[in-house]
Amino acid sequence: MPYLNIKGREIELDEEGYLVNEDEWDEEVAQTMLKDLEGIEMDKETLEILRFMRSYYKKFNAFPILNAVCKKLHQPKECVHEKFLDPLLAWKAAGLPRPGTMYTESHDDEHKVYKLITAQ
Amino acid sequence: MAIQKPDTMFKNIDHKPPRKDWMDVPADIKPGRYCYAAGPEPLEYVGMPNPRKWDPLDKDWKLPENWENTIITGMKERLEKYRSFKIFMDICVRCGACADKCHYFIGSGDPKNMPVLRAELLRSIYRGELTTAGQILGRFAGGRKLTEEVLKEIWYYYYQCSECRRCSIFCPYGIDQAEITIIGRELLNLIGLNIGWIAQPVANCYRTGNHLGIQPHAFKDMLEFFCDDIEEIYGIKPEPTFNKVGADILFVTPSGDVFADPGTYTCMGYLILFHYLKEEYGLDITWSTYASEGGNFGLFTSHEMMKRLNAKMYMEAKRLGVKWILGGECGHMWRVIHQYMDTMNGPADFLEMPISPITGTRFENASSTKMVHIVEFTADLIKNGKLNLNKSRNANVRATYHDSCNPARGMGFFDEPRYVLNNVIDTFHEMPQGTTKEQTFCCGGGSGLNAGENEEIRMMGGLPRANAVKFVHDKHDVNMLSCICAIDRATLTAMVDYWVPGVQVCGVHELVGNALILPGEHERETDLRGETLPGKEEE
Repeated sequence: MPYLNIKGREIELDEEGYLVNEDEWDEEVAQTMLKDLEGIEMDKETLEILRFMRSYYKKFNAFPILNAVCKKLHQPKECVHEKFLDPLLAWKAAGLPRPGTMYTESHDDEHKVYKLITAQ
Repeated sequence: MAIQKPDTMFKNIDHKPPRKDWMDVPADIKPGRYCYAAGPEPLEYVGMPNPRKWDPLDKDWKLPENWENTIITGMKERLEKYRSFKIFMDICVRCGACADKCHYFIGSGDPKNMPVLRAELLRSIYRGELTTAGQILGRFAGGRKLTEEVLKEIWYYYYQCSECRRCSIFCPYGIDQAEITIIGRELLNLIGLNIGWIAQPVANCYRTGNHLGIQPHAFKDMLEFFCDDIEEIYGIKPEPTFNKVGADILFVTPSGDVFADPGTYTCMGYLILFHYLKEEYGLDITWSTYASEGGNFGLFTSHEMMKRLNAKMYMEAKRLGVKWILGGECGHMWRVIHQYMDTMNGPADFLEMPISPITGTRFENASSTKMVHIVEFTADLIKNGKLNLNKSRNANVRATYHDSCNPARGMGFFDEPRYVLNNVIDTFHEMPQGTTKEQTFCCGGGSGLNAGENEEIRMMGGLPRANAVKFVHDKHDVNMLSCICAIDRATLTAMVDYWVPGVQVCGVHELVGNALILPGEHERETDLRGETLPGKEEE
């Protein structure tokens, strides 16, 4: 099993990099996942998105509609794409489990636009 | 997984047959062409056999003891139970009329994707194990024994068939490969051979009522979010009802449309239409948070699972006391409803003969199922002048129409969507003959194959459809591929990005919703996607 090592703290991840125990999540975990693994800087808006996803998941046990995240947080319409490129990275950095009925797909190597695809 | 660039994939299609006899070429399970196996959890949830963790790339598939007997006995039972299966096993003369009709064969060049050979994978077992000629003469009579290698080959290729039935219309005997694949997958499921992309939605659907596992409060929250969006666009907020006892009609649609773009815009189209009908004609259509899925991945698992998942539609209609059921834009959902539902879970004698309360039209074709397709319902409203439409709001749309396989070949549903489209848009171009209506090509991801890990075969399978789209895109500047299926909306989006960039995908009711003039609406600035409406750019 892979681990995230944060100042001596070992956080267990599954094969695809999702937290095994979502309660181990904190800002530091998110920051490490985003910056060290993906080169994404955490800022106030990014953290807001992650916190929203966590609270939505807690309430609804579901991944929120992407447009709804941005609208409810009064962020630009494509905020999740702008901040994370891949919406599932946001889900992962929010410490939530791997969703079994959706994935994201992109075909353009130079201008990646990840599209969320679900089982129908 | 990195996938080849479109031009490389196109150049690499090799239709040269292998030098050896097909029985001597074992399946080479290639990443990009198969879907991951289901883990134990979803199987345990619905009580399916042999739940375990396994990987198709491993040598050991952890098969149950006596698996050969389970498959052979299962086949025997089904040969007796399903007359069609028995006939399809017996009558093929290998004329090859179907060979080049399969989108997966056209795009991959893999001979075992020819429908005749795909069927032969199973037919050879039938001959070798269950017919006297095959038992005595073996290969000379087209028979072979069921070995682990053969089983793996069947699994690999039966999850490369989208049950689209295109091959069946070219077969002089009418052999329906979809029915053979359905039985083949059912047999595989008896020993726990399946894929996660089907098993997980099946378990979710059994647990929460829909494939995505959306719970009732989340389902309601998602639809209410669309209502907020509609309020911003129209200045009017629809107020849908949920689980309303005594409503006129129950509406059931695929859950993918309440969650992922571009299906979400189709869903908004439904909400706008229902609000209009409520305001103008007092029609009360309710949504269910229990029967919250039109699709049925049970169809891709077993007849029994299809029946179990489908049961909630009639149960909910009965509980709510509605008159009849209206169904959304979905493909395989309509195969289940149109061809199986009333005998499987009916008769729905507690429902009424579907009659539009607005136009008085009797939907005789739905007299046994009591379930009407929304495109048919809307076409009738338009024909009777009951909708106030402004086509110019769709003036930017230059559309073509993809006939979704199941409504097209399973229901003969060709004219209604075109009629609706021609009433809500100005510019429509048909794709070339031979690629539409009953000869339509699959999106490449039907029958539960719209997963991520098999992207390569999806893109290969999408090639014939993409070629036809490219033709109208190049010739007529078509920029929108409309369809009436949720898997299409997901799969075609990725497929056109890959093969025909510059074309978008939409559901028919997105365009209906965008054109509909709601009573009391404010001056509209944007379409349902938030794009500026034609003519509003300068302001």
